[in-house]
Amino acid sequence: MSNQVNENGVSRRNVLKGAAIGGIGLAAGGTLLSSCGSDAADGPVTFTARTNDETGLKIAQALADAYTAETGNEVTMQGSGDTNAFQDGISQYLQGTPDDAFQWMAGFRTNFRADQGLLVDVSENISNLGDQMPEGFVSGATNPSDGKQYIIPTTWYPWGLHYRKSTMLELGLDPENIATWDDFMKLLEGTKSKGLIGYAMGDKGGWEAMGTFSILNVRMNGYDYHIDLLNGRAKWTDQETIDVFNQFALLIPYMNANFLDISWDGMRDLLLQKKCGAMMMGSWWANDFLAKSQEDYDDLWIVPFPEINPAYGRDSIDAPVDGVCAAVNGTNPAGGAAFAEWCGSENGMLAAQAAGDTSLYANTRLDTSGYDAFNKQKLAVIGEAKNVMNFLDRDCRNDFAGTIVGPAIQNFLKAPQDVNKIVDGMQAAWDALPPLS
Amino acid sequence: MTTTAAGTTTRRRRAFSKGDRFTLAMFIGVPSFLHFVWVWIPALLTIGLSFTFWNGVQLSNIRWAGLANYETIFTASPQFYDALRNNVYWLLWFSFIATPLGVLLAYQIDRRIRGHKIYESVYYIPVVLSLAVIGIIWRFMLGPAGLVQVLLGRPGIEEALPIFGNYDINTYVILSIASWRHIGYIMLLYLAGLKAVDPTLREAAAIDGATEWQTFRKVVLPAMKPVNIIIIVITVIESLRAFDLIYIIYGTSTGWPILGMLVFTNIYGQAASMLGAAYAVILFLLSITPIVFYLRTVFQDDKP
Repeated sequence: MSNQVNENGVSRRNVLKGAAIGGIGLAAGGTLLSSCGSDAADGPVTFTARTNDETGLKIAQALADAYTAETGNEVTMQGSGDTNAFQDGISQYLQGTPDDAFQWMAGFRTNFRADQGLLVDVSENISNLGDQMPEGFVSGATNPSDGKQYIIPTTWYPWGLHYRKSTMLELGLDPENIATWDDFMKLLEGTKSKGLIGYAMGDKGGWEAMGTFSILNVRMNGYDYHIDLLNGRAKWTDQETIDVFNQFALLIPYMNANFLDISWDGMRDLLLQKKCGAMMMGSWWANDFLAKSQEDYDDLWIVPFPEINPAYGRDSIDAPVDGVCAAVNGTNPAGGAAFAEWCGSENGMLAAQAAGDTSLYANTRLDTSGYDAFNKQKLAVIGEAKNVMNFLDRDCRNDFAGTIVGPAIQNFLKAPQDVNKIVDGMQAAWDALPPLS
Repeated sequence: MTTTAAGTTTRRRRAFSKGDRFTLAMFIGVPSFLHFVWVWIPALLTIGLSFTFWNGVQLSNIRWAGLANYETIFTASPQFYDALRNNVYWLLWFSFIATPLGVLLAYQIDRRIRGHKIYESVYYIPVVLSLAVIGIIWRFMLGPAGLVQVLLGRPGIEEALPIFGNYDINTYVILSIASWRHIGYIMLLYLAGLKAVDPTLREAAAIDGATEWQTFRKVVLPAMKPVNIIIIVITVIESLRAFDLIYIIYGTSTGWPILGMLVFTNIYGQAASMLGAAYAVILFLLSITPIVFYLRTVFQDDKP
């Protein structure tokens, strides 16, 4: 098992490729499902689902019920309420009387709380899962400061260029692949000349445009530079970074003018209503297309963001990993860890799938042959990438990503000519950050 | 003289029975205690924390920072001056537009112009709504696919006029929304004050041949001094403590930064750092100045 990790524990090269394509050769059979934790892990477990929508709660309840049925340990599930508020209050929540297990996100948001002693070390549970857990996810879940894992990965999704195949056909482009910057510009120009929006953007939340910034950076300067930049080893005032902003500025004329008035759901609606050509976004809302009609869902497609610098091709992708953590301050932390482990096991994922979860799972035993075309394409998009990132606000200090990078990109989008002033401000803010403790 | 004064005091003191004293102690002591525990201790702790580096989790990680947080705010926080500027805009707008309009309305309604009852109700209605509710209402009305967009003939998301994200106009839009409530609030306060002004004063001024404007400026305004001070203080405080409206409209993304938002985004949540405490102290100092000014004026008036 590779312990090759960097600051973000996201150096999950190559290994993911095999994992993503569905754990070929590791299908049923293999080792026996390891027993779910030891005796110490018995007893009732409480579980917080990081969702407040109906489907998410239904899936979480199905997980709880299936675990109870399998182990006899009763699981009490509750929703987190507003997920942004849950995210914002997580440190306070974990210091109070948290549930034993809760759904959470890998990357800085886990590792930081692990360093603060708020999360249960689940390294043993990860090794219990054995070859069910793809190595790439293990290194993705590894905290660089101590080499241990504090989250059991369960699902993930890619960030890519989303569009409608029918629009590409109308423009005379290959509906299944927009590979080069030229094709991409044709897409933007074509949709714009039809009176539509070329590149949908909604950055009201302050994080949506980070996806475009990150992908431009890895396409132009490579994965290593991007991670260096997010961890202070490269500078925002570097010409490389300024070039990325200037490339970003090329997209602004194709954006909707009200990009600071709408959020990610506005972008989704633009694509849903056939009002835009393409958009850079994570694929978590594809079910909304299905909810509208099968035809709309079949029309939806995702490809990796086009190549810019041939030296890097399309070798990197944002593919945030979600999972389950156990809280140290829970009443039954060992039980929480065992439940988290079970959620990452084949049985846990089958239970979620049976309850209607269409996410991509982080388990090699799951059969992906039944995936629909769009989900297979999501796997292919992730599989093509050599480097997987967790998204800017999970790869970077929280007191920099949200409070500095978000507003800076908003300021840039409204006044791209001020790029030098903006990067100066960002670098000054980075330099003034207190030591991370 | 002295003896009389002392005598009066003694007599008054003796008038308190045990039960009175207990009641007084409860009325003064309990609120003071709660106020101290819930307001002053946190305030003092915040001031202390603003001189530290801390992420709000383990107390053992707290480190002395000296003035570093303040230095960061003044020299390396791109949003601080934007926020300060927006708060100053808010203050100027309220001082020179919203508050005078409220006063003007109160004066007109007090003169019982035709339909004054209707005006009074119409302008007062927004006051019963909290700023958070007002934010929700206007976010829906002005946002993409909102009523105003439909009336402008732009019902689609793709064609919705940028408003809250349009930096040429959003300052005016937000301040107008805030004024919608503030005008009614000031109107109500001023109306209450005007009703207390002795009408004979105005009659006397009219008999002496004063114009409407002269009467207002030379007679009514001076008679309203206590209300005027309250209104000035309210205007200043409301402008500086603004938070809820902006939070509802923009979330934590600080699309239109103000100091109250910076306190929140820097001290609460995933990005917790004591920069937020330092912002809070700056805001506190800005707000306490008008309060001190107000209390001093009031106490001076009370002096014999």
